[in-house]
Amino acid sequence: MAGRNLPLEAPLRPRYVGAADVAEWKVMVVFALIVINKAGGLIYHREFHEGLNKLSVNDYLVLAGTFHGVHAITKNLCPLPRTPGQPPTGIEVLESESFRLQCFQTLTGTKFLLFTEPHQPNIDGIIRKVYELYSDYVMKNPFYQIEMPIRCDAFDRHLASYIKPRQ
Amino acid sequence: MVVYSFHIFDRHTECIYSKHWLPRPVSSAPSKQGRPQSNSTLGTYDGEDAISTQPSGLTAQDDAKLLFGTVFSLRNMVRKLGGMDDNFVSYSTGQYKLHYYETPTNLKFVMLTDTKTNNLRMVLHQIYVNLYVEFVVKNPLSPVEHPKGEGVANELFEMGVESFISAAF
Repeated sequence: MAGRNLPLEAPLRPRYVGAADVAEWKVMVVFALIVINKAGGLIYHREFHEGLNKLSVNDYLVLAGTFHGVHAITKNLCPLPRTPGQPPTGIEVLESESFRLQCFQTLTGTKFLLFTEPHQPNIDGIIRKVYELYSDYVMKNPFYQIEMPIRCDAFDRHLASYIKPRQ
Repeated sequence: MVVYSFHIFDRHTECIYSKHWLPRPVSSAPSKQGRPQSNSTLGTYDGEDAISTQPSGLTAQDDAKLLFGTVFSLRNMVRKLGGMDDNFVSYSTGQYKLHYYETPTNLKFVMLTDTKTNNLRMVLHQIYVNLYVEFVVKNPLSPVEHPKGEGVANELFEMGVESFISAAF
């Protein structure tokens, strides 16, 4: 994995690769990405790397719904007194023995779930970049209907060129 | 590192022991309300905040049930994704972190701490081996099952947990 096939001539490269990014090329294993809309529906899922069990689309839908519910409950379980003006957040990181799940919720309620290796560094950066790609190639796509499954070629391509070459 | 609370759930999904180091947050509702009326809360959907914006008129038992539901769902989710031999270890939010350890007998140990705490799986395992097994399982007066936590919160176990936590943190 490490250092293999760095696409120096990658066609879509210039926009998203800076000097700081190059340092993290070697250690990036992202298993999968899931996007959940604000109602708990699965609108995008994609696997990048072997490592997790193969699930059917149905299972992914169930998983998205379950996570959405659990996310809401975990907000409520907060043992600390509520500080006004700072609402409690739901799950941000979930760790298991074989993977790590990072959840990023946008201000509009869309959730990005990134499954990576347990000790993957800089997931925050990756997930923000994915969000950036989402806003550029999904939200700005005039044919995309909001809250509906994401079928945007440009998003697929740019996502692949951001995540795939680094594995 | 701060510990907020500690719970044990048995294989019948019941909370058999819980201990809080922090008073429960004062709920804004003075008394426990009934179930939300379907026309007021569920009829108009306002995103997932439907739950979290309500005043939390929940009792400690309700909290324990929510906690169990959460770890149970997450455990199943992790098993589905990572295979049957994978284990759910912890999750963290912006405010707190939950640590989880499950014994082969489906006894679930859950601990809530602040977010800066490292993995507490070993600590929970130690509580199981050195305190639960010693003072609850080996106690001749304790029943085999613990309905309503009967026999778990005995003096030795309480003292053991208290001193173990204060020594570990």
